[in-house]
Amino acid sequence: MNQPDTILDMGRISKAYAGVPALREVSFSCERGKVHALVGENGAGKSTLIKILGGAVQADSGEIRFKGRLFTHLTPRLSLDMGISIIYQELALNPYLTVAENIFLGREPNRAGVIQTRHLRQQAAELLGKLHVQIDPDAPVSELTVAKQQMVEIAKALSRNADLIVMDEPSAILVGEELEQLFKTIQSLVAHGVTIVYISHRLDEVFQIADTITVLKDGAVVGSRPREGLSHRELVQMMVGRSLEEVYPAPIGQRGEPVLVVDKISNARLKNISFTLHAGETLGIAGMVGSGRTELARAIFGADPISSGTITIKGRLVNHASPAHAIRNGMALVPEDRKAQGLFTALPIRQNITLPILNRLTRNGVLQSKRETQVVEDARHKLSISMANADQEAQFLSGGNQQKVVLAKWLETRPSVILMDEPTRGIDIGAKFEIYQLMRHLNEQGVAILMISSELPEVLGMSDRILVMRDGQLVGELPRETATEQAIIERATSGVEVS
Amino acid sequence: MVLGATSSTAHTLRRFVVQYGVYVSLGLLLIAALILTPNLFSEQTLTVLLKQSAQLGIIAIGQTLTLLVAGLDLSVGGVIFMTSVIIARVSNGVDSALPLAIGLSFLFSAVIGLANGLLITKRRIPPFVATLAIFILVQGAVQAYTRGVPGGFVPEGLSVVNQSAGFISIPVVLWVVLTALFVFVLRKTPFGRRLYAVGSNADTASLSGLNVDRFKIAAYILCSLLACVSGVVLTGYVGYVDRFIASGLDLDAIAAAVVGGTLFTGGRGSVLSTMAGVLLIQILSTMALLLGLSIQTQFIIKGVVILAAVALYSLARTD
Repeated sequence: MNQPDTILDMGRISKAYAGVPALREVSFSCERGKVHALVGENGAGKSTLIKILGGAVQADSGEIRFKGRLFTHLTPRLSLDMGISIIYQELALNPYLTVAENIFLGREPNRAGVIQTRHLRQQAAELLGKLHVQIDPDAPVSELTVAKQQMVEIAKALSRNADLIVMDEPSAILVGEELEQLFKTIQSLVAHGVTIVYISHRLDEVFQIADTITVLKDGAVVGSRPREGLSHRELVQMMVGRSLEEVYPAPIGQRGEPVLVVDKISNARLKNISFTLHAGETLGIAGMVGSGRTELARAIFGADPISSGTITIKGRLVNHASPAHAIRNGMALVPEDRKAQGLFTALPIRQNITLPILNRLTRNGVLQSKRETQVVEDARHKLSISMANADQEAQFLSGGNQQKVVLAKWLETRPSVILMDEPTRGIDIGAKFEIYQLMRHLNEQGVAILMISSELPEVLGMSDRILVMRDGQLVGELPRETATEQAIIERATSGVEVS
Repeated sequence: MVLGATSSTAHTLRRFVVQYGVYVSLGLLLIAALILTPNLFSEQTLTVLLKQSAQLGIIAIGQTLTLLVAGLDLSVGGVIFMTSVIIARVSNGVDSALPLAIGLSFLFSAVIGLANGLLITKRRIPPFVATLAIFILVQGAVQAYTRGVPGGFVPEGLSVVNQSAGFISIPVVLWVVLTALFVFVLRKTPFGRRLYAVGSNADTASLSGLNVDRFKIAAYILCSLLACVSGVVLTGYVGYVDRFIASGLDLDAIAAAVVGGTLFTGGRGSVLSTMAGVLLIQILSTMALLLGLSIQTQFIIKGVVILAAVALYSLARTD
């Protein structure tokens, strides 16, 4: 089986955490000098597989053949020494050191223990030159954009003579042309014989860059196919076992009374914003990152102050002074950054879900555990949250299940308006589909949803109407029927230099 | 799936260490004491041991609360000193003035807790700095008030705290009752749940509708009040006013909470395991004493135990 140009061959790798299998006899192999995409939903086992390759996690069984050498286990040291470099989403750079110092951290060229600064700088410059990027080797890393920091990580991998570079969701932190630059870099690396394993949620990218695509699902390989001849449709079907048309459920098509009226609100980040949200409607908000979308949601929810304008819910002037106030008026906010603002990762699922409704579960000042358990069990069934038990800490759930926990928390407060900021970010397609279904179901019950999203297919697929933001202002409203990606992008960017 | 089973066992073991490690250690230590220093269980030794544990333990409950909201309180020593001075000065040895003196102590303690809480929440001063500054300020203010001469007398009536039936004394009863109360509050009331939420993630808590500052301030006020309770007990126990009355207790209380498994980063810990942490530290000290080890050796042992506990927890918490 081992062809001469196969650099990596992971065979029948199995791994279980706390008895729950994360990988089941997964086999994954890479041809030298090619780009291999690894796709799959969150919790499909991609990260576990990569951690095993990096030596951070030990497989329960299976073997790894790398450059002809056979291993049953790798350690982080061994993995690095063998020429495997893994670039995680959270970059591992020291912000206070310079680019050159970061690249050679711990391996600085030295004479008798004294670092040869000139050599260090020179070698760093050479490496960066190879990547065709303009980065000053003397700049402190903290002054670089995230995209450039990522390039420094790649240079670091090259400095270790890496033969195989794994990029874990590299595009998640990049915008527009930065991604193009990354792709150029990847192509030049591949041309020099470096093998790339590219992990991503975004299928468009995968099609653009990969030679081979391997799909993981529920800890097993669904298939490994050359990109040539594989269609987008087939890939989605491999990932979810469901076709693309069925992903966005049709809108219910009729809207009720106005519930939320925002009239000329302004603050440091928002200028004169007015719109009306109706019962049973999903209103999409599109715009570039930094256009004020998140700030709009926060201002409506009372998390940030507004300097002028009015917010009315069901005819009553509210102008929320705090989130507590907004919640009492029937609002909920599903924040963009799930782990930092939506969840208590270290607390049990139970405590995450019932926090806003503790008073309802209390009799004579004492929490009624039975009623609480009932609430959590109901939520678990309603949202099909897959969890070991209600006392499991939220951090151990997959992204999709974590988001369901956040939604469950808010559904218990029976809101009439839900603000959703990137409701499906970092979530696998299967869970996305379930969340879309849930949103429609809420619409049917008359709940109004304000959905902020950077994913245009999602905006187009889910919204009854689409508002476009730019520089803290509303710059357009598009009805569902006539909205296109092109129309949204034009409004979101006009007046701004594109490219 | 044999391998899967072992990894499940490892996971269960880790959870066990985090949740029950301190109780198991306490049990093992008691067995060791039975063999090495059986006279630890004599009524006299046990009475003193428990009384001292109670003084520390009552402070440690409060300290656990501030740790739960990702803070800590270095000012408890100041609160205790202030309490003893107020009791001696205001009552001046007269029993009937005791309620007033204790009442005033509680009032001032609450104000100190409020000051800590406001500095930390409204002015965003790190808890370490804010409470250290308040500690120095309170010490200074009290000494300015006494002009460096501890005046007044501790009323006879307060020596009631020294009475005991067997090895059960009033401070011990207070400690147990307060611990039980806070176990209940933290587990079974909305306030307790919200306190954990605020300590676990203040941003999420705020976006979930909690007034984060209010809960943090409450934790500091409660911590000060509990220190005041301990101050009253200590004053009765010592019988005179001393600037160093609480010296060592403040940091020991933090150590006890940490040994019990409470995290500095907030949101994790319990007052019951803090109680076990207190007993662990006190029994170790007493054993060292009974074994005739020097005070220096005792400190070394204490330090090693704290480090060992923290190392064990962090090992068990990393997968």
